[in-house]
Amino acid sequence: MVSYIFRRILQSVLVLLVVGLVAFAMFRFVGDPVDTMLGQERTVQDIERLRESLGLNDPFFVQYWNFLGRALQGDLGISYRQGRPVAEIIAERLPATLELAAVSGTFALLMGIGLGVFTAIRRHGFSANAIMALSLIGVSLPTFLIGILLIYLFAVELRWLPSFGRGETVMVGGWSTGFLTQSGLIALILPSITLGLYQMTLIMRLVRSEMLEVMRQDYIRFARARGLSQRAIHFRHALKNTLVPVITVTGLQLGSIIAFAIITETVFQWPGVGLLFINAIQFVDIPVMAAYLMLISVMFVGINLIVDLLYVAIDPRLRS
Amino acid sequence: MTDTPAPKTVARSRLAMTWDSDVAHAFRHSPVAMISFAVTAILILSAVFAPLIAPHDPFNPATLNLMNGFTPPGEANMFTGESFVLGTDDQGRDVFSTILYGLRISLFVGFAAVGFAMVLGITLGLIAGYVGGLVETIIMRVADVQLTFPAILVAMLIFGIAKGITPPEYRNDVAIWVLIIAIGLSDWVQFARVVRGATMVEKSKEYVQAARLIGRSPAAIMLRHILPNVLSPVLVIATISLALAIIAEATLSFLGVGAPPTEPSLGTLIRIGQSFLFSGEWWILFFPACTLLVLALSVNLLGDWLRDALNPRLR
Amino acid sequence: MNRLLTATALAAMLAAPAYSETFRWASTTDPQTMDPHAVSSTPVLGFLNNVYEGLVRRGRDMTIEASLATAWEPLPEGAGWRFTLREGVTFHDGAAFTAEDVRFSYERASSEASDVRSWFAPVSDVVVVDDFTVDILTTAPQPIFPDSIANWMIMDSGWAAANDATGVARDVENFATLNANGTAAFRLVSRQPDLETVLEPFDGWWGEVEHNITQAIFTPIQNDATAVAALLSGEIDMINPVPVQDAARIEAGDGVSVLRGIETRVIMLGFAHDHETLQNGAPNPFSDVRVRRAVAQAVNVDAILQTIMRGSAEPASQLVPPSSRGFSTGLDTRPPLDPDAARALLAEAGYPDGFDFTLSCTNDRYINDEAVCQAVVGMLAQVGMTATLEAGPVSNYWPELRAGNFDMYLLGWSPGTFDAEHPLRFLVHTAGDALGTWNFGGYSNPRIDALIPLIQSEIDDSARQAMLDETAATIQEDMVYVPLYVEPLLWGVRDGVSLTQRPDNFFILRWVTVD
Repeated sequence: MVSYIFRRILQSVLVLLVVGLVAFAMFRFVGDPVDTMLGQERTVQDIERLRESLGLNDPFFVQYWNFLGRALQGDLGISYRQGRPVAEIIAERLPATLELAAVSGTFALLMGIGLGVFTAIRRHGFSANAIMALSLIGVSLPTFLIGILLIYLFAVELRWLPSFGRGETVMVGGWSTGFLTQSGLIALILPSITLGLYQMTLIMRLVRSEMLEVMRQDYIRFARARGLSQRAIHFRHALKNTLVPVITVTGLQLGSIIAFAIITETVFQWPGVGLLFINAIQFVDIPVMAAYLMLISVMFVGINLIVDLLYVAIDPRLRS
Repeated sequence: MTDTPAPKTVARSRLAMTWDSDVAHAFRHSPVAMISFAVTAILILSAVFAPLIAPHDPFNPATLNLMNGFTPPGEANMFTGESFVLGTDDQGRDVFSTILYGLRISLFVGFAAVGFAMVLGITLGLIAGYVGGLVETIIMRVADVQLTFPAILVAMLIFGIAKGITPPEYRNDVAIWVLIIAIGLSDWVQFARVVRGATMVEKSKEYVQAARLIGRSPAAIMLRHILPNVLSPVLVIATISLALAIIAEATLSFLGVGAPPTEPSLGTLIRIGQSFLFSGEWWILFFPACTLLVLALSVNLLGDWLRDALNPRLR
Repeated sequence: MNRLLTATALAAMLAAPAYSETFRWASTTDPQTMDPHAVSSTPVLGFLNNVYEGLVRRGRDMTIEASLATAWEPLPEGAGWRFTLREGVTFHDGAAFTAEDVRFSYERASSEASDVRSWFAPVSDVVVVDDFTVDILTTAPQPIFPDSIANWMIMDSGWAAANDATGVARDVENFATLNANGTAAFRLVSRQPDLETVLEPFDGWWGEVEHNITQAIFTPIQNDATAVAALLSGEIDMINPVPVQDAARIEAGDGVSVLRGIETRVIMLGFAHDHETLQNGAPNPFSDVRVRRAVAQAVNVDAILQTIMRGSAEPASQLVPPSSRGFSTGLDTRPPLDPDAARALLAEAGYPDGFDFTLSCTNDRYINDEAVCQAVVGMLAQVGMTATLEAGPVSNYWPELRAGNFDMYLLGWSPGTFDAEHPLRFLVHTAGDALGTWNFGGYSNPRIDALIPLIQSEIDDSARQAMLDETAATIQEDMVYVPLYVEPLLWGVRDGVSLTQRPDNFFILRWVTVD
């Protein structure tokens, strides 16, 4: 068990290193930061001098090596666009993304499991089928369009909810939170729905099909024959057994929630790391792009690792 | 996930039987399946025969008249007097024709991307599951790396590289293939995981052991014996992936990494159309979005039904 | 009795006009930095003009007027300019403004890391004559020097030294990145990059206050549709820009209106003049002036303006808009739209069946750039020039152009000095290290190269204009570029807000009043 964990962690580190290498190999194809950093009256010497001082004339693996060296000391470099330490910028922006991801993840999980159980129990009912069909509409349109349509309906036409931003935030020990103000909570609604809709549908369908499968199995039939109540059967036995695949998928989806936050944050001007990344691409802000990619990789690899370990913990058969 | 073990011959005929009777029977008794199949078929056919159906060729810039721009559906343009069933977009392109041609590109990207992901995923999944050991570890870690890079990012980066290495005149042709590779690359992991799982289960069974004993090559065993057993889940994933791939293409368009505007896909049309949401030219967004919705919805419903129909335990 | 009083007081409070006028505005781009010398771009310079001031400034109609300098005059024999400084001006932190600050700001703005150092290329030294007089010495006569330093912002030398901000913060962070200490009507209260920047009026400002704002909050909103939604829903008082297609709808709506103007940016088509071959390997037709003229006569600019630009932009005939200084009034017509003549010109040039080429274009830089390029492709196709449209983000656009990977391309140019000489220096002069740095196509004309320094140092206005007219005529004759139109300025404004729109797209807060 210990050696398994050790091996997995080692593999994860390797994965991170490869991600970084690939990222640095690709940066020069995104564009030239020098053009976005200098004004229109720059001279050829200005361009050369800046390239040299940013180390852009070095081969990409040298740039990567330097990045790694500094990153290990906690220095992620200076953003080309803002001229400020990247670590500082990311620390400022991360709470927005994490809060959005947490709320939309919770929304997806709660609604997904609830609706999944409902549609499984009422498999042939009208409302269950209607929910199944409606949920598909949510995943049949691209995220950005759903976001824009929600803004149009709830912000412009009805004027119930704000169209952009996080509302008022409160600093709690270096963490800016929108959870403590009314406007902060209201501002979370539309982006969370936009971001969580796809995951909700996914979890709902997974729970439904796993429930249907489990409910056919012998021990559930026994339970039913023993006269256990429907509620006990559904929730204590059937639902419990569907949780392993749900954990896996949710874990994996958490990463993609953060990735898809890029789109949602752009549409709602949500000041998180996704929007930061989009700005970085437009500006060819290499230090920010590199830091973001590494951050996402660390998160994803970490989540993967945790899910794998949870798996082992939950299912004893896999322990061998 | 654990499939019930079955001797080889039974496995094959079960598959055949399923196709012959069970699925067909279920299909005949499911109005949802029949409708979504019909809608999908109609959309695919109209995409294939777009040049015959479409009243205009929106991909030929020489035939466009900019003054036709923003003609509302069914109304006559105030400068040229021409009228169009679903109106025109900002370039004076007939929206109906553009949708048909855009559908063609979206479906092509979708099918090709899923095909690519399927071939790649099945191959790597089979190898990982059958060979095991270091090879498996490497493949599955690569899968992790792949998952780590969000699909959007993969596409943007591949797009950048492809642009860097192709001369400008070919870039538009390359764009479509880049989309296919990018979307395909973000999707193969699912196939690989399912196939690997099933392969590991099958590998230990008697018939595979027997085949190995009589000296069949690993490739033959994988293709002839193991692959047929994993086809049903693969088919289900493929159908759902098709819808996903079409949506992914649209999402990438929003980030400026989609089909070129002169030869737009449905996603590019939606990206262009969304900028006219507030200006009142609703038809430029509405019709392509509806088409995409109907297409993705029917493919999804079909995939859903297929999953239930191919899973004997659910019936 | 007491109760009544309270009630009355309460009623009075409720009825009182809202004195606290918080003004919120949004734009697509956040100013990257608060350092006035680090980035020479409209979002940064425009924003910081509310916080910092220069020796001179531009008025509502772009004319140069007094700011931190009250008077200026050329030194004898074209040796430079003498500026008389305003007395009694203080910076936001209370420090007094003196000639020493001017000299410090010159050193800072002309240092190597500065992005505005090109403004000081002709300057040899800045001499402090007394506390309120400085001489700016130039190597050659500089008749329009005051025009060229309207955005040169003066920083307090003491503040910079105390906060370790004497150097320009570009690839390093320093105090000036997030903090500002100017002399202008507004002071920086809080700065959260990409999120929110708050300004408040500076009580000690020397000028006469015309605004009635008590607080101004800037938020960047990148997505056009979101910005329009924020304006329509009343969350934002002013957005810049309004997408051209949404202008009519916003004007028709309740409570909001659109302020229309014409910017200084001219959108044009550029050509590969000196390439041997096209990107596809075929011989390069664009080195032939007849082909370039055919392009000019095939593109229906009026149709583009009417549909894609919704009547908001104006056709362009030269590299600068008609409103700029030194515009050649006698040369203000575009070549007439004539597809038949275009076909004839192509045939004459040896391309009776047309040819294939690539049109490079941005899709996130100028207003509806991609749609305009698409339309150009269609119009050129109708005379036989079949273009493949290569539209991409601007991040990779200039590197491609610098590398010569283009046949024909879209370019927008905004003259920083608001003068006709500006584009000559960068777009027309033979490509070199400091001049012709944006002349990607490699056009080269010795006569124009010789005229440019003469124009720069000519003091006599009519002689200067004659030389500008000559170059403008040559550029039109040679079809060096095909100017298409001048970009519109469209700001969405909530009713009850009055403000002034300046052609350089600077948003000046001290001209804002809120009802």
